[in-house]
Amino acid sequence: MIELINLTKDYGTVLAVNNLNLRVATGEIYGFIGPNGAGKTTTIRMMGGIIEPTSGKVIISGIDMKEDPLRAKKIIGFVPDRPFLYEKLTGMEFLKFIADIYEVETKIITPRAQELLEKFALTDWAHEIIEAYSHGMKQRLIIAAALMHDPRVLVIDEPMVGLDPAAVRMVKDMLKNLSRQNVTIFVSTHTLSIAEDLCDRIGVIHRGALLAQGSIAELNLAARTGNAGLEEAFLTLIREA
Amino acid sequence: MQSILSVLLRPRLLSTLQGIKPGKKKGNRWRIFIFIFIGAVFWLGAFIIFFRILNYFQSVEGFGDILALRLLSMIVITFFTLLLFSNIINSLSHLYLSRDLSLLHSLPVPAKDIFISRWLVSAFDSSWMVILFSFPVFLSYGMIYQAGAGFYLLSIAGMVFLCLIAAAISSILVMLGAVILPAGKIRSLFIVLGVALAILLVLVLRIIRPEQLVNPQTFASVVIYLNSLQALDAAYLPTTWISDVVSAALKGDWKFSLFSIALSASFAFSLIFINESIAKASYFRGFSRAQTTAKRLFYPVTLGNYNWDALLNFLSPAAKAFAVKEIKTFFRDSTQWPQLFLICALIVIYLYNFSVLPLEKSPVNMIYLQNVFSFLNMGLAAFVLSAIAARFVFPAVSMESEAFWIIKAAPVSIKTFLWIKFFLYYIPLLLVSEILIIVSNILLGVTPFIMALSIITIFCLVPAIVAMAIGLGARYPDFKSENPAMAATSFGGLLFMLCSFALIAAVIIIEAGPVYYTFMADVHGRNLSLMHVVRLIASFSLALLLCVFAVFYPMRVGEKHLSKT
Repeated sequence: MIELINLTKDYGTVLAVNNLNLRVATGEIYGFIGPNGAGKTTTIRMMGGIIEPTSGKVIISGIDMKEDPLRAKKIIGFVPDRPFLYEKLTGMEFLKFIADIYEVETKIITPRAQELLEKFALTDWAHEIIEAYSHGMKQRLIIAAALMHDPRVLVIDEPMVGLDPAAVRMVKDMLKNLSRQNVTIFVSTHTLSIAEDLCDRIGVIHRGALLAQGSIAELNLAARTGNAGLEEAFLTLIREA
Repeated sequence: MQSILSVLLRPRLLSTLQGIKPGKKKGNRWRIFIFIFIGAVFWLGAFIIFFRILNYFQSVEGFGDILALRLLSMIVITFFTLLLFSNIINSLSHLYLSRDLSLLHSLPVPAKDIFISRWLVSAFDSSWMVILFSFPVFLSYGMIYQAGAGFYLLSIAGMVFLCLIAAAISSILVMLGAVILPAGKIRSLFIVLGVALAILLVLVLRIIRPEQLVNPQTFASVVIYLNSLQALDAAYLPTTWISDVVSAALKGDWKFSLFSIALSASFAFSLIFINESIAKASYFRGFSRAQTTAKRLFYPVTLGNYNWDALLNFLSPAAKAFAVKEIKTFFRDSTQWPQLFLICALIVIYLYNFSVLPLEKSPVNMIYLQNVFSFLNMGLAAFVLSAIAARFVFPAVSMESEAFWIIKAAPVSIKTFLWIKFFLYYIPLLLVSEILIIVSNILLGVTPFIMALSIITIFCLVPAIVAMAIGLGARYPDFKSENPAMAATSFGGLLFMLCSFALIAAVIIIEAGPVYYTFMADVHGRNLSLMHVVRLIASFSLALLLCVFAVFYPMRVGEKHLSKT
């Protein structure tokens, strides 16, 4: 479960996130959409413990990120918007590195890494340095790494960027499957069709504030767009904000 | 319409201006002031040293001018060598490896124009510091020989042409390398360069034989030796033409000076023309070849199921993961290698020089001299260690580059992360420093007291220097740099060097008095007075406290800053 309570991030010159409150239930897939510069990535980075909020709280499965960041991070799988990795390690070495950091049991590291590399079609590249990977391969590796320690919460910023159609389908199926296994998933995306297809609920953020949240029908209701779909509801909400 | 070249150069110019603008960034003016201040101190220092050397040469009857001119040609050759290496490294990066090259090559601009714009930037980056620090040299020559404005103008023009020649030769070599080397292995040029540089350095220093300068009996032969280095003045070398420009202008032989500058200029412009022709034919081809998949230069040798990682099994899983990552990343990054080779070469030279010091020929008491040298050697070894730390340890946090999010998202505290980094560098550097100090002390044949003192002092200084490098590296990180190793020359890097030098100087000064009393008592077989014992304990405790403070305080500062980044 994820809870954001009065979450605010003020960079001094920009108020990136303004008093954000939301709650994601266990096993739910929550989509986070908004225009460029709305505060999505800042919110996600605060949830991952990468930056500190100016005020407010991030609660992950009952653990306050500020009070006990290490325990909170241990149950999160974090995927950033851009796949920056240790370029001089091989894919397999990177997965083992992540597994050791998250204290995965030694005897299951190699089979787990092999299983994930297989799943993400990276087996043939397992022993090549990451520097040689394409953008999409790095993105697949980063998602695989986020799953190495069986996280209870997945926080993903733009999961499908750079992925080919087969990988997009695979990631979508995988996320739905994880949700069925009670993994809580928070996804930020610009691709509305993915949000529409994948998420149980969607939150619309603009200028750091949450404009509306709920199912697609609830968003249409809030935007007074009838049954027009997510795109129309989103554009109307942003325009009228 | 503006020329394409000026448009291509504009992003660089604007970024530089943004970088020096006071703007919103706190302390920017302060940083610029410190940079200028340190630069001015070095500049002034260089001037004083050269002025005194030349003044001294003038007092050597019959040889003054020969020595001064010989020194000039050696300086020009040194500048040229530095320029060549720095240009090769810079042009490799500017022409083939920079991240923005893909964007540039996608633009409707001829590859030749891209080449020229990058070549100009590379030549500027490689040369400005050499030109700046050649001024004090020419100023001291001008003042000693009472030269006029013409001398200064011709000297500066000569330096500019020297820089252009070095930049043009380097880019020709790099372009040929990019075409000849297999695709994806262009980075291996760094290794070739590293080995070449290390060998060259050893050779040059052994040819010069600096130990002769401390041997008073061989002074006359040193003069003859310096004078005999005729090979340095071969007429077909550009360095000879530049030396001729300066030396002829010094003597007021304007005709020869202008002839030499014309020769240098025509050679520089011919090389630039050749560069342009080669660029037209092969630059884009070389660039395309460099864009292929990066290949590992070496694959690990495996002995059955045995893996070297197992040697680190005594560490916690997180610490081991960091250690393995750090070691693999370091050794797979071929850009690190030239400097690693260079450091190995310097250590060999350092130790070899101790073995050939002709102390027995000195008029001063030999035991006394050996131990004075050893005491000073402690400081020297610590300075060497600081330089190594500035290059390899200070950028260690910045080397995480944009992958630093992994650390921030990982269930590992910043404190643990920094301490793991600390121990990863502390252990090898401690080993290197202790070997350096023990071997040089053995070569000097010092007393057991001085040997013990050196070992203990270095044992205390190494963690302090490493912690300062890690801590200040974390306080002033640069995660966005294309070349994080360059962090060593940033404001934080300079601050680290200053702090490190201050600490070493403080420890040496604190220890000097008590060490002298104890050493003299040891030599004369006397016992130390109570006062001396108290002073000895107080001094060593103070030095120890300073080192302990230098270990924990910078680490705390770095941790605090990174936690808020």
